[in-house]
Amino acid sequence: MKMEAHHPIVWFARRIVSGVVVVWAAATFTFLIQCVLPGDRAQIIINVTSGNVGPASSAELAAINAKYGFDQPIAVQYGKYILGIVHGDLGESYQQHRPVAGIIAEQIGPTIVLSVTALLFAWIIAILTTLFIAGRDNIWAKLLNDTQVFFATAPPYWLATILLVVFALKLRILPVIGGSSPIGLILPTLALALELSGFFGQVVQNEFTRVLEQPFVTSARARGMSDFGVRLRHVLRHAALPGITLSGWALGKLLSGAILIEVVFARQGLGGVLVAATSSRDVPIVSGAVLISAGLFVLVSLIVDLTYRVVDPRIKLT
Amino acid sequence: MSMFAEATVSRPLKEVLAIVRRVPFRVAVCLIIIGLFALAAMAPKVLQTHDPLAIDLRSSLQSPSIGHWFGTDQLGRDLYSRVVEGTGQSLAIGLGATALSMSIAVVFGVAAALSGGVCDSILSRIVDVLFAIPTLLLALVFVTVFGPSVLTEVIAIGIGTAPGYARMIRGQMLAIKGTGYVEAAKVLGHPFPRIVWRHILPNAMNPLTAMMTIGVGQAIIWASGLAFLGLGVAPPAPEWGALLNAGRNYVIYAWWLEIIPGLAVTAFALSLTIVGRHLQDRLEGKT
Amino acid sequence: MHLSNARSTRRFTGKSNYPARTVEAAFLLLLGLSQLSSSIHAQEGLAGSVKRGGVIRYGHFQEPACLFGGWVQQWYLQRQYSDNLVARSEGGNIVPWLAESWTISDDKKVYTFEIKPNVKFTDGTALDAQAIADNINGWLSNDPDLRNPTAAPYLSDSFESASAIAPLRLRIKLKVPFQPLLTVFAQSSQGILSPSALKRGLAVNCENPVGSGPFIVDKWRHGREVNFRRNPDYNSAPATAKHQGPAYVDGITWKFLPDQTVRYGSLITGETDAIYDIPAVAWKDANSRFSVLRHLTGGTPLRLALYTARPPFDDVLVRKAFAYSTDRRAAVDTSFLGSLPFEGNGALSQSSPEYLRELGHSYGHDVRKANQLLDQAGWTERNRSGVRVKNGSPLIVRISYSNAFLKPDGEQALQVIQQQAREAGFDVRLQPTNPADFFAGKNLGPDDYEVVLLYWVAPGAEIFRISWKPDQNGEPNRFNPSRLQDPMLWEVIQNAEQNFNGAERTDLYQQAERKIVDEAPVIGLTLLDVTLATKPNLKDVWLDRGSVGEPVFYDAFFDDKK
Repeated sequence: MKMEAHHPIVWFARRIVSGVVVVWAAATFTFLIQCVLPGDRAQIIINVTSGNVGPASSAELAAINAKYGFDQPIAVQYGKYILGIVHGDLGESYQQHRPVAGIIAEQIGPTIVLSVTALLFAWIIAILTTLFIAGRDNIWAKLLNDTQVFFATAPPYWLATILLVVFALKLRILPVIGGSSPIGLILPTLALALELSGFFGQVVQNEFTRVLEQPFVTSARARGMSDFGVRLRHVLRHAALPGITLSGWALGKLLSGAILIEVVFARQGLGGVLVAATSSRDVPIVSGAVLISAGLFVLVSLIVDLTYRVVDPRIKLT
Repeated sequence: MSMFAEATVSRPLKEVLAIVRRVPFRVAVCLIIIGLFALAAMAPKVLQTHDPLAIDLRSSLQSPSIGHWFGTDQLGRDLYSRVVEGTGQSLAIGLGATALSMSIAVVFGVAAALSGGVCDSILSRIVDVLFAIPTLLLALVFVTVFGPSVLTEVIAIGIGTAPGYARMIRGQMLAIKGTGYVEAAKVLGHPFPRIVWRHILPNAMNPLTAMMTIGVGQAIIWASGLAFLGLGVAPPAPEWGALLNAGRNYVIYAWWLEIIPGLAVTAFALSLTIVGRHLQDRLEGKT
Repeated sequence: MHLSNARSTRRFTGKSNYPARTVEAAFLLLLGLSQLSSSIHAQEGLAGSVKRGGVIRYGHFQEPACLFGGWVQQWYLQRQYSDNLVARSEGGNIVPWLAESWTISDDKKVYTFEIKPNVKFTDGTALDAQAIADNINGWLSNDPDLRNPTAAPYLSDSFESASAIAPLRLRIKLKVPFQPLLTVFAQSSQGILSPSALKRGLAVNCENPVGSGPFIVDKWRHGREVNFRRNPDYNSAPATAKHQGPAYVDGITWKFLPDQTVRYGSLITGETDAIYDIPAVAWKDANSRFSVLRHLTGGTPLRLALYTARPPFDDVLVRKAFAYSTDRRAAVDTSFLGSLPFEGNGALSQSSPEYLRELGHSYGHDVRKANQLLDQAGWTERNRSGVRVKNGSPLIVRISYSNAFLKPDGEQALQVIQQQAREAGFDVRLQPTNPADFFAGKNLGPDDYEVVLLYWVAPGAEIFRISWKPDQNGEPNRFNPSRLQDPMLWEVIQNAEQNFNGAERTDLYQQAERKIVDEAPVIGLTLLDVTLATKPNLKDVWLDRGSVGEPVFYDAFFDDKK
């Protein structure tokens, strides 16, 4: 069965298998996490649900243990858990008594909208600033570059709080609670995009400064192309490849950032749910989110690689 | 990239001095800032103007002034002295998390690169899995399980940031392993572990020094993010994230309680980043 | 214990959410009397049809996991869509709601209620005596889908049965007299739900509960808001309401805004019409710009419970010394910036009818007295850091608390206490505990704390039953973190519960109250309150005194409609 190792189908199949392996390993990880949870899970479920503090009766504990299957051997629990995941069942929230898959499905939409808009914004900001500063050595370029580094470093939730106070509360240009309206998306998106644009900008700028020194740029200039024209054409072309990779890489950063930003703006989304779940030890929700994001990551990196293939067919697939 | 040209990290003192003399102004400023923070971490008393825990109910919520450089909080505690006091803990978290993350990364990266084959792919897959989980989410998992504490934060952020470094180390190791230079060392009859220890590792680690410098700043920002969510180290410890979290509630009426701790975090992380970048450029500039 | 302001508003040991009824009318602080009077004029001048319309955008604090249940966050919601058997007025009187009238047998064990005719749940089910009996029997059953975690602990010792003896006549039988019965029925968590809807199971009912109230749950957008719409056929308003018939507004958008800057900010920018829990730092500003409603809850104050079963607080002198050593009034004033009053009476909060005002100043700051008491108790030596020592062990006081039961401002008050108690030689250590750990029992074991900070909101002194019932038959009272066992105190409390003579009962409860303050197993700190800021054009929002001060939007209307 020695097929060509770089044959697209073989490549694709291998990618799928390794993706499944990653998700399976993440599932195993989240399962183990649930098992090592210190304290009795049934006790936590009872007290979190009723708001009680102190030990529950053994009858109550037994009922919960039976309901969630905590009284079964670990191996059986593990088997059931994996089987459930295969069927799209991520378990039931300890606190909300609803399927985790449903809870996450309900909340992930706004988070994805926020992340994708922020990604776009980040690229727009990064490309615009690069067009302006790359290869230039005046004070404005320096200032802009420093600003970029500042945004890449400053804590995003802190920037978000400042944006909220300045633009929504003091200047009243934008709403405090945006809800799902496009205008309400501006501040959270900006808060999330600024940080990312700093990262993107720095990378693209390095690339681009190198490109500007290449002979074909000089020849383009010699042909009478305007400086701006040269910049625009080559920035876009040379930003494309690192752009795809960076966008894939940014997924994790975006999700992490979105959690914080959503909390600052009290927005609907995974952030609020996860923070509540973390402080009430609602492990199935946190585990579910981990699994989903691992799945997303696998999917996105597959898309990135495929796009690479399309953009530049010479790329060797691994 | 021919950093392989320098076989070891140890350089003659003269060279180091030469580098110091060539430090640009902004890097020098950043080094001074880092130095000040380091001083604040090690000997907070030297820099403090007030007792960071002393409650003075009469001077509650005062804006920055000559008496209180950064203003006061609700209990009249001096914010400047609290920021100084919090430096130690924040720095410890940042350094601790980075050290942990590096140790994990070195073990994984080196083992993967050197073993190759099945072992490499298993280790790489494990790194992939961890990489697939956003850092903050991984941190939330740890906090959920072990409850919030300094140790949890360090472990969570350490593990959360390790995969990135591990991949980098593995890549470096493979690159160096493949150079004729190592082959040459083999031909010369050097034992393999010695080649790894003396030649491969130091070369692979060089670019990481820069990454680590930047990483400490990032780790502090992650930690303060956790604290910001109310899942960090418990007050009254004036850890930076805790200050940021407390300040958020007052931001409309007492901006300094939120803005200033944020500036402290940013100033420190920014300085580390600029210095880290400088180191990076240095290494690459040696081409 | 209803913890209106904490990050996670939960009841301590299950019971703390007891509805607080403010018994004194004076707690409605409509600051800005001019606004109050203008609203009255406006109301008089407007016909009902003019008042009608508009949707109230209300910014609430926390989002519960279910739209009804034992947690106070659930009560706020349930008040909007369900009706109770009886209501409790500001003066503390029980008045008609679903029950038009009732009689109590001579032995005080049989209650007969006449139910309002022609009332329907919003799913069309008839609201009759049988429906109410089904609800009540469910509360006290062991069925986890029906059991009511608020009603059960109050009533399980005395309740025998509920039954419909005629379509509109309900009979409740008790094993022993229990005077606070009607008070318990008046709490929002005891709102009557449609029995046919309840059969759909807990998960469905949590999402979409069905009551007979003025609003109907339209849609719960998790993580964002609950949409209520007006019940157009509403005909069962309580006697405490300002009008009868359907509500004036078209609905309520009940937004969950846990961040206080966003919540208060949204009111400033006009994105909400009313918000819950005014941040302490914005208290003055809110009073100058908005109509502010406030309800100080009854039951216990927010108090320090001292572990009395082992040293050092097994000695009443040391307990008193600890109380004297701290200026709790100053701690509260600064931490809450004047938004909450100091409460020195550890037994009962000032809005309870049995409250003794003179006990509100108990144990004022007096370091000399604290030192004297400690010397007397044998804690005479001090170690190098100034902490008192007895038989080689230092005077360490560990305070356990959780932000589930304490807002951040309260944490600052503890930091003040920590610093002050040092002067008298106490080494106070704070043990902040995250909510999940707290519920799992961390820092709450018998050897884990000397002090724990808790409260339990209730209408009045009937809360004593919960706090001070001694351990019986080897079964510890888990709601008594002080571990004080006082059979004489319990005797007095039981006598009070069975006494239907108001003055005598109050007198008995006050005896108990004095005894509690004197023994100092609990030291008062402050109260819990419910605050609401509303835009000036939103009139006639009120807080329900029959319960924990839930906002009632039934009578509310906008007076500037375009």
